Amino acid sequence: MNESIFTFVERCVGCKSCEVACAVEHSRSKVLASAMGETPRPRARVRVQPAENYTFPSRCVHCEDPACVAACPTGAMTRDAATGAVRVNEDRCIGCWMCVTVCPFGAVTENPETGIAHKCDLCPERTARGEDPACVAACPTGALVYSTAERFADERRKITALSTIGVSEEAPGNVTLWRSLRGGNQR
Amino acid sequence: MEVVIVGNGPAGVAAAEAIRETGIECSVTVISKEAEPFYSPCPLAEYVEGSVTRSSLFMRDGDFYRRNRIDLLAGAAAVSLDPSRRRIGVSRNGRVEQITYDRLLLASGAVTAIPPVPGLAGGPGVFTLKTLGDADAILDSLGGVRRAAVIGSGFIGLEAAQALVRRGVQVTVVEAMGQVLPQMLDAEFASRVQERLELFGVEVLLGNPVQAVNRGPSGVESVVAGGREIDCQMVVCATGVRPDLSWMEGSGLVVDRGVVVNDLMETSVDGVYAAGDVIRAPDWSGHLDLLPNWPNAVASGRIAGLNIAGQRRSFAGLIPVNVVRIFDQPVSSFGARHGEQVLTAGEGERARRLFLEGGRIAGGQFLGDVSGSGVFLEMMRKQVDAGFLEGTALSGRRAVAAMLPKPPRVRSLAG
Repeated sequence: MNESIFTFVERCVGCKSCEVACAVEHSRSKVLASAMGETPRPRARVRVQPAENYTFPSRCVHCEDPACVAACPTGAMTRDAATGAVRVNEDRCIGCWMCVTVCPFGAVTENPETGIAHKCDLCPERTARGEDPACVAACPTGALVYSTAERFADERRKITALSTIGVSEEAPGNVTLWRSLRGGNQR
Repeated sequence: MEVVIVGNGPAGVAAAEAIRETGIECSVTVISKEAEPFYSPCPLAEYVEGSVTRSSLFMRDGDFYRRNRIDLLAGAAAVSLDPSRRRIGVSRNGRVEQITYDRLLLASGAVTAIPPVPGLAGGPGVFTLKTLGDADAILDSLGGVRRAAVIGSGFIGLEAAQALVRRGVQVTVVEAMGQVLPQMLDAEFASRVQERLELFGVEVLLGNPVQAVNRGPSGVESVVAGGREIDCQMVVCATGVRPDLSWMEGSGLVVDRGVVVNDLMETSVDGVYAAGDVIRAPDWSGHLDLLPNWPNAVASGRIAGLNIAGQRRSFAGLIPVNVVRIFDQPVSSFGARHGEQVLTAGEGERARRLFLEGGRIAGGQFLGDVSGSGVFLEMMRKQVDAGFLEGTALSGRRAVAAMLPKPPRVRSLAG
């Protein structure tokens, strides 16, 4: 089973640490201070989206049967069968935007500077070294995790069970308090 | 088992790959009208323009057919179909031979639907832009061309127009309808695309069906449209596509502008399947439709291949999407071009619009920024309530966040 990035939505506080870490990881220098001055400007491939009183780090979910791969007429978008990562070959992409037009998550975007498709690549260099992807490593609340679907589902079930019997809360108390300040969530 | 696939485009190749993926023991023969191995027709205008190289059009490596045990009959045209004997007639090098099959896939694609106008059906100086051969022919004839007329303002026509402009040719687009991109956009968005074309020097002639192509001793001299004579040395006919069904006549196949298939890509005749631009198939809502585009060709080809190999797999339906770039500005659309409720965001060259029927998305169009448009396509396919989009910036990613299943809101039993 491949590892991928999963999200515990209730833990996300919208701090955008993932966005910054992603942009830095995909810069030339990989250092924040110098990345800020680079051209082309390093761009995040994850975007924190507001949704009522939640925030959601929106990015590619690396589908098993990706619409973008089937739709790509140049062979630029491919899924690595070994890792499950869906990536753009920047040399083959001509920026026709078919992938953008069919992605149900809005996860492939246009890089306006290069004119080609832009998306999460699961940080191949980091994961090859055995590290978590940059957004996961940077997430201070554990909202983003690098895991398999089974492990993530197990964890999800455990959290729900424990919070139901009152052993622990599903999200840290201060996060729940912050969310309630954003606008009454305790339905 | 002997599998014969007519067509070496995205549908035929996706089917062949799906068959090999299943590991089933069978021979696979692909019959291709064209001489070249599998290539992508989508970047042909970019190839004419010069921004895409010829070699990058080819989608598989040189060993692809051998490795997958695919027998490619290149330069061979299917000319007859006899389902009662399970054989097709194939014309190659001037000889017709009969090839038998156990399973047949019709993935022969579409051809340009050329209006019956004198001189438009071909001849020196008159081109279509559907195949690599067409693109090579245009490139070979560009020398000495100062002015060109492009007939039709669909996405192929407009892509051809910009490619020629970038090759230094002065272009007039002749459109029979009252707007450009008549199959993609409503009149208001189309007028903005037209402004952009004109900004880059393209002359656009609307509401004028082409009447004649005039030839002189040196080739094409002019095109007549709306009573006006347009001087030109080259004509590109981009008047839409239609499946080429002529060779299937007498076979008993049910056709209705395209080969009618069910959600397993089966035709009305046992053992015969169809996929790609040639089909009339259920769309995302179950209605039979003709929707020739790359994603539909790949998806239907794959489904056909899996079913031919005996793995019953049903098709999710054709998707009505189109995307084109107008001088580097992306334009995309899907579904209907009108609705009882119209939501618009942005203005000018950067705008988006959704059409709603009964509170659900029926279509959408995007100018300048197509990001997140796939989300709205998915909302249409799933027929989810889209009322919450009213008054918003129509951001696809934000819509995803808004539609997320909220985490379980179980209150602690102890608390």
